[in-house]
Amino acid sequence: MKDLKHLIYFERLLENADNELVEKAKADGGICLGYTCFHIPEVLLNVDRCFSARLRAPNTGSIDIATYYMSNYTCEYARALLERAIEGGYQFLDALIGVDACSMMNRSMEHFEILGVNSKPNFFVTHTDMPFKITDYTLDGYERQMQVRVLDRIHEVFGVDTSDAAIRKAVAEHNEVCKIISEIREMRKAENPVITGYEFHVLNLVTYTCPKALILPYLRETLEELKTREPDPKPAFRARVAIVGSEIDDPKLTKLIEDVGALVVSDRYCFGSTPGREVIELKDDEPALRQICLHYMEVSECARYISDEKVLQRRETSDRLAKEFGAEGIIYEQMKYCDYWGFERALVSHIMHDEYGWPVLSIDRLYNNGNSGQLRTRVQAFVESLEIKRIHKEGK
Amino acid sequence: MAKVQYPNPKFWRAKDNIDWKKQGENLKEVLGIFGDMLKETDWKDVGEKVVAGCKADIERVKGEYKDFMALDNAEKWDRVVNGERSLGRLYRKGAMATVRREWRGVKDTAYDFWEWARLWGMLLATFSKDLIPAMNSALWYRWMISYFCCHGFMDKNILGLRGSNLRMSHELTYQIFRYVAENLVLLSKADRKNGNSDELNKMMVTFDEMTMGQIMAGFPDLCGIPHQLLPMFLVSEIDQLVCIPYIDAVESYGLPSDTCPVPSSECGALVINALPDMGSGFISSSMPCDGSTMASSYFSRRFPHIPVFHLCFPVRYLDEETVQMGAEDIKACIKFIEEQTGAKWSWDAYFAAMKRFNHETDLELQKWEINKSARPQLIGPSYELFRKWNYEMDGGIDPRVIPSMEKVNKMLLKAYENGETAWPERKMRYRGIVWSCPAHYYANFSNWLANCWGIDILVEMESLNFTKHLETEDKEEALRDLARLYERMVMRRHTNGGYQNVVDECWRQVEAWNAPLVIMYQNVACKNMATVQGLLDEQGRQRGYDLIWVEHDLMDPRTVSRRTMRDKVNEYMRTVKHAEPVDPSLVEFEDEVCM
Repeated sequence: MKDLKHLIYFERLLENADNELVEKAKADGGICLGYTCFHIPEVLLNVDRCFSARLRAPNTGSIDIATYYMSNYTCEYARALLERAIEGGYQFLDALIGVDACSMMNRSMEHFEILGVNSKPNFFVTHTDMPFKITDYTLDGYERQMQVRVLDRIHEVFGVDTSDAAIRKAVAEHNEVCKIISEIREMRKAENPVITGYEFHVLNLVTYTCPKALILPYLRETLEELKTREPDPKPAFRARVAIVGSEIDDPKLTKLIEDVGALVVSDRYCFGSTPGREVIELKDDEPALRQICLHYMEVSECARYISDEKVLQRRETSDRLAKEFGAEGIIYEQMKYCDYWGFERALVSHIMHDEYGWPVLSIDRLYNNGNSGQLRTRVQAFVESLEIKRIHKEGK
Repeated sequence: MAKVQYPNPKFWRAKDNIDWKKQGENLKEVLGIFGDMLKETDWKDVGEKVVAGCKADIERVKGEYKDFMALDNAEKWDRVVNGERSLGRLYRKGAMATVRREWRGVKDTAYDFWEWARLWGMLLATFSKDLIPAMNSALWYRWMISYFCCHGFMDKNILGLRGSNLRMSHELTYQIFRYVAENLVLLSKADRKNGNSDELNKMMVTFDEMTMGQIMAGFPDLCGIPHQLLPMFLVSEIDQLVCIPYIDAVESYGLPSDTCPVPSSECGALVINALPDMGSGFISSSMPCDGSTMASSYFSRRFPHIPVFHLCFPVRYLDEETVQMGAEDIKACIKFIEEQTGAKWSWDAYFAAMKRFNHETDLELQKWEINKSARPQLIGPSYELFRKWNYEMDGGIDPRVIPSMEKVNKMLLKAYENGETAWPERKMRYRGIVWSCPAHYYANFSNWLANCWGIDILVEMESLNFTKHLETEDKEEALRDLARLYERMVMRRHTNGGYQNVVDECWRQVEAWNAPLVIMYQNVACKNMATVQGLLDEQGRQRGYDLIWVEHDLMDPRTVSRRTMRDKVNEYMRTVKHAEPVDPSLVEFEDEVCM
């Protein structure tokens, strides 16, 4: 296929957390609010002059200093962020909106405060409490946390407008991004899609890491380009797979999987498009904040939600996505040392195979995997097994 | 008010409904396993080991006799009156238990045997209340076998103790053992694989690992049992090797080995169906850590017929904004229990139990005051374990505990006034506290520290929990207080809610207890603690405290053996403190397979 016009630009934006568009927004008076977790409604960080940047630590090398503080038995993503922070890589942030959802990420963010990694006088880290299930009272609690720990703080410190109207304006912009990404995502259902999993991963990641207003023109143009893009006459892939699991902000992982012959058609992981790029429908007669909180609770696929209906929802979503996008198998992945996904992956990889009938590859992986020979071999073997299954099926 | 009978006599009276055919099939399977084991046994090797054991015993007796005779008369008298001093000789390579019980001097040994007999009496009386299902559990669950070693556990926990501390420790141990014995019998009665008492199951609610029991105080007609506590957590402290098959099972299933062995063991037991199937509802919880949170989906998978309520408290518990959410969750949990069992919540019963719990808290604080002084009285693993059990599981529900605690406090004050000390004088060299996830029960570490190096552990992190009196009049505030209490459960109070609760709190406690030596347990799989390791290390050094880092993996000694744990202290004491051991026989000894 012909290269996407902006792909190299998008890749360049992902080379640094503090990318060109972040800098531009800041130069225009924007306030950059960093966050990591899906539990923080992104739209709340895009009110008024604020813009959100979902934190990554691209090109992470040594994480020795973070390992000293957080030991070597903990999530590499959390450690990589701390290492980058100690190196001064997040000096561009004006605040960090933290969640106490998983202990390791929470501790990483606490170290931002304790070690004083950002020297801006108004820089702050806020910690929010997250629900484990959906009930009226957990929604009340979640809404209250977002109001007090997020909106009130940014209003107090930066004087920004956090009114209902400001939130609705942010939602409108957010929704345009979501619509574009959703439309592109639909293209992946085609038998011979006009976009690869890697390209989609890059596109989706820039929507999380760049100011919405500045990335939107590029996204609009890319969507139009894709509408007329001609796929290769003969598909380059040997099998279609869906990925389910914990945080992946490294598109090289998708590239690795696709390099050995799999086409990634669905991305049901943290930093993926499901959840994350669903349009938020707001009613006019209810406060926007409460509706947004409920939306995020309902669409969340985080393994931390332990109530029975959410546990079932995760399995059903994986099954639905794999079916809708024509996947032949599911890769269940987990960032090494992630307790939530460690337990979830071990159990559900069996359930998806035994009860839902999916071929499953179950892996745990490091933060950066682009060059993992071991992973490449495992995916390769999985692709071959899917091919064999197909041959057997066609032979019947 | 009528005298509260505990446990409710209805529980004992509940009729069993044993499926004998199923028991027969299980017995056949067990006999098959025994048969295979017998066939595979190398009897020649067994014979050689028995002979070697006998020879070693003869040598040991000769050695002990020789050593005793080599003492002068004053020393001989001292050994007769005050007991032996070389405790390392109680261990033998390859032995699963100590070679004999400790000689504590005439008076204390006699007392010790009296307590030994009292414990046996209680166990026999309790198990005889429904003997068949209780004993039959041993044919269903291998963990049940380890409970036969409970006397060994008691001996281990009082190793080296004398005088009042010995007496108080026995009294506290008795309370725990009675709770365990009663609940083992009830668990066996209710287990659908075993006693299968429908009547009891209708009255039974089970709850998740380490979830506090106080909510059951409002349901005096119901039996609340922590589902995994007896089969996994507590028994692993008796026998550190017991959970290994369950850990292996779940790791074979696909769980990464870097997860905490507590939920791993529980999930492993669920994977291979080694937990009892009982109760009319299960209270799962999000506590105390991420791994524990996830274990509930394994429960639902194994027991799909048991309805589950997920009790989920806010993590940022210091934030008062979050308290109401916790209170609402407790209300919902009460409603769930009522729906599942048909029982009604009783505020009178709840308040009565919480008044007892408040009194127990006062008694606990009294112990702390004494132990903070220059003459601590009640220290050691029995007390540490009692505090944990009393705070988490008993929680004022069992009225029999109060007189026992009062008796102990009376002894405590008397001993203090008499100028006694918790350990013999030579063993009181350093004041220390234990921080992070403790491994001292598994490794008998607190006792070993005192017996070997004279390090007296005055308090452990997990004892230092919520000490505010719980509300016993206003119902809404009572629920908020209960939420506050649950949010500060053992472990969670420190490892959740922000680093201040574990880092700043550590230094505050070091000062409060005047204990500049900290045994810093490092559970290699505990992410909550591993992520503050650098801060503790850095700040501890800045403050000039002795931080002895001891790695461990709780009930999985294959990762870090007990010997390796001891070596960390030995090295520190030799190289940093330039200390000489109190009992050199305890510096190096073999206990790889010893419970």
